[in-house]
Amino acid sequence: MPRIDAPSFRPGELEVHEDGSGNLVGSRCSSCGAHFFPVRDACSGCLSTDLETIGFSTTGILYTYSVVRQSTPEFEVPYILGYVDFPEKVRIMGQIRADLDYLSIGMPMVLELEPFGEDDDGNPLTGYRFVPQESTDD
Amino acid sequence: MTDVHVVGVGMTRFGKHPDADSTDLGAQALLEAVADAGIDPRLIEAAYCGHVFQGMVTGQRVLAQVGLAGLPLTNVENACSSGATAIREASFAVRAGEYDVVVAVGTEHLTSQFRGALTPDPSDPEAAVGATMPSVYAMRARRYMHEFGMTREQLALIPVKNKNNAALNPLAHFRTRITVEDVLESRPVADPLRLHDCSPVTDGAAAVILMSDKAKKRFCDTRAVRLAASTLRSGSVDVEPTSMTFEPLTRLTAQDAYERAGIGPEDVDFCEVHDCFSIAEVLRVEGLGLFGQGEYPAAVQRGEADLGGRLPVNPSGGLLGKGHPLGGTGVAQVVELVRQLRGEAGNRQIEGAKVGLAHCRGGKAVGIEGAACTVQVLTR
Repeated sequence: MPRIDAPSFRPGELEVHEDGSGNLVGSRCSSCGAHFFPVRDACSGCLSTDLETIGFSTTGILYTYSVVRQSTPEFEVPYILGYVDFPEKVRIMGQIRADLDYLSIGMPMVLELEPFGEDDDGNPLTGYRFVPQESTDD
Repeated sequence: MTDVHVVGVGMTRFGKHPDADSTDLGAQALLEAVADAGIDPRLIEAAYCGHVFQGMVTGQRVLAQVGLAGLPLTNVENACSSGATAIREASFAVRAGEYDVVVAVGTEHLTSQFRGALTPDPSDPEAAVGATMPSVYAMRARRYMHEFGMTREQLALIPVKNKNNAALNPLAHFRTRITVEDVLESRPVADPLRLHDCSPVTDGAAAVILMSDKAKKRFCDTRAVRLAASTLRSGSVDVEPTSMTFEPLTRLTAQDAYERAGIGPEDVDFCEVHDCFSIAEVLRVEGLGLFGQGEYPAAVQRGEADLGGRLPVNPSGGLLGKGHPLGGTGVAQVVELVRQLRGEAGNRQIEGAKVGLAHCRGGKAVGIEGAACTVQVLTR
């Protein structure tokens, strides 16, 4: 994977590591163990405010997806959007890079860092996309 | 505690109004509601205005337009449930005994604010990766097809039904009948949804006059319709992912309403539900308990939700056919319920209807099932 030096497009939600890897960030309730994305101030399960910020796994299962063909000016269409369920029991939306013909509900997906948009000064930012796990094995 | 009654209703034509703004539209609806109630507007003691994108003091501008400036006025923003929430707040003021006559108005001039797909608030993490409202419902549609085997053709029957109802409604945005082929050949928006699966960008307003028992008896007894329940919930944060093909938020809000009205889903004669997208109607009526989970598409195919069916759904044309001016939508649903229950719905009249239900649901924020949900039950 090429190293990406650009800062995260969503600081506090996406960690970018020195080695170019990265992961999404959320909360884990120290009291009942529930996980949340994004970071929360209190647990919706037990209302504890004793939450720790953790990085989530980078593989999950595709819950559903769509090809977006009409969007706001910031986004070039078409793009694939999907929800991935992670082992921490959080469901997170992201864009998907995949051959549509091979995409199906229930398939394993991996989070990868990719260039994603620009800041107000036109500098590139790092974001994430989900890709089918099979296509990352080789 | 007094009951609350809807004694007057008004509604603009829904559609594109390039020569009007949300003030003009709200004022027109309000004046029509006053005329429909047949009351002196000076009887109105308080006002509530639902809107989403119309800026500060929209309600005050509407009141100033119709000579009622000075009344206690509350502006209400609750996404697509804004108008319905305004009615709920107005009904509380009457029920509490504070006022006997109040008006709730919902207005939106959306064509001047938006073109194309609505999105969640730009600060939302899902908006940041490109979420649009059509794409979120598209993903729910794909999952529903995966779980329950609904076909694309079955889904198309919903916009066909609603737009054909709208063709009978002189105030609807769309007045042209369509076919399944029209739906399947329309422009793709977010797979599997196409343009006819999506509610349009609409301008419009609606207003209702509410009264206490006492005021109703004195001023407008004969055409009043009882607001038997007006309930509201907001979506909770899931502690683990739940099904996107079922709506606990709709179910809980409906249960509150059934309990308050002293009825069950089997007592509902017809309903107006928040069909912002074709798939949304499926999720709503199943969430409301009016049809079993996974069963609505086949029921539509059998004609059960048609105007002459077992349980007509969206006789007005719904959001798909009548149009969806966000703040106006929830109030317009109640306008349709009142007209149906009074027997004043013209050639889309449902014979003998005694109990009508209106459901609104709107907004999107990361991690919660839905933002704002309302259910209103009206009985005659």
